[in-house]
Amino acid sequence: MENKKRIFMKPGKTNQEDRNNFIIFWAEYMKSVPDNEWGTQQNMLINSQLGNANHEVYLKLKGLRQIPK
Amino acid sequence: MELKDNKIILEKDASELDIFAIKFLKILEKHIEYVVVSGYVSILLGRTRATDDIDTFVKRMTKEKFSVLYEELQKNGFWCLNAITLDEVFSYLGDGYSIRFAENEKGTPNFEVRFPKDSLDEETFDNFIIVEFPNKEHIKISSLERQIAFKRYYLGTEKDNEDALHIEELFKGKIDFNKVNKYKQFIEERKKRQKIYGK
Repeated sequence: MENKKRIFMKPGKTNQEDRNNFIIFWAEYMKSVPDNEWGTQQNMLINSQLGNANHEVYLKLKGLRQIPK
Repeated sequence: MELKDNKIILEKDASELDIFAIKFLKILEKHIEYVVVSGYVSILLGRTRATDDIDTFVKRMTKEKFSVLYEELQKNGFWCLNAITLDEVFSYLGDGYSIRFAENEKGTPNFEVRFPKDSLDEETFDNFIIVEFPNKEHIKISSLERQIAFKRYYLGTEKDNEDALHIEELFKGKIDFNKVNKYKQFIEERKKRQKIYGK
C-alpha cells in the first residue's frame, strides 16, 4: 500500500481564519503531490468559472464597451 | 513546482486562463517587454481562484510601435474593451490608464495593460521570474517579494492578503523578507506622495 503523507486542514474560528487555514493547507498539499495532481483540480475550478462567464453583464458592470456586433 | 535561478518550472497542464494568457503574451513580447503582476501571479502559482483580468506592465513605447502591436492583436482575434481607434487607445495608455483586451466576442478574461507610472513600477522589469510550462511556453511574472509587498501593503483587501499568504506558504524559506520590507517602505512613500500630490 502506498504510504502517502496526509495533509490536514485546521478549522478556523472565524470565516477569515478558516479561509487562511485553507490557503495554508492548500500550499502544503501542493508541495506534497505532483503538480498535475493539484493542477487538475485548480484547472477544473478556473475553467468552470470561465465557461460560465456572462460577458455582456461583465462589460456593463465595468462600464466598458459592449461586444462589437 | 520548483523555484531556481529566477525560474519556476510548472509540471502541470495549462488552464484555459493560462492558455489565454500565453496566446496574448506571445504577441505582446514580440513588440515590447512585459511583466505580469498582481492576482494572476498567485493563480499561476496554484491559488484556488480565478480572475477576470490579468494585470501587465509594458515598457513605455511610441505610438508608432504601439500601432503595430495593436494591429497584430486585432489580427489575432483580440479587441480593445476601452476604445476603437488607435488614437483613443494610445491616449488612454499615455495618460496612465490601463487598457483592456479580450478575445473577440468575449469580455472576460481580459488583459489589463499599462505603462509603469514611476520608478517603483519600472523596477518590475529588473526583477522578474520566468514560469515555464511543460511545453516550454512561458510567462514572465514579478518577483515574489514584490508580489507579497504590493498585495499586503498597497492593495490590502482580503483577497489580496490571501494571495500574499498563498505565496508566503508555498515558498516558505525562499522569500527574502528584507526585500519585502524595502518594497513596503517604497510603497508607503508612494502612498504619502499620492496623498499630497494626488499621483
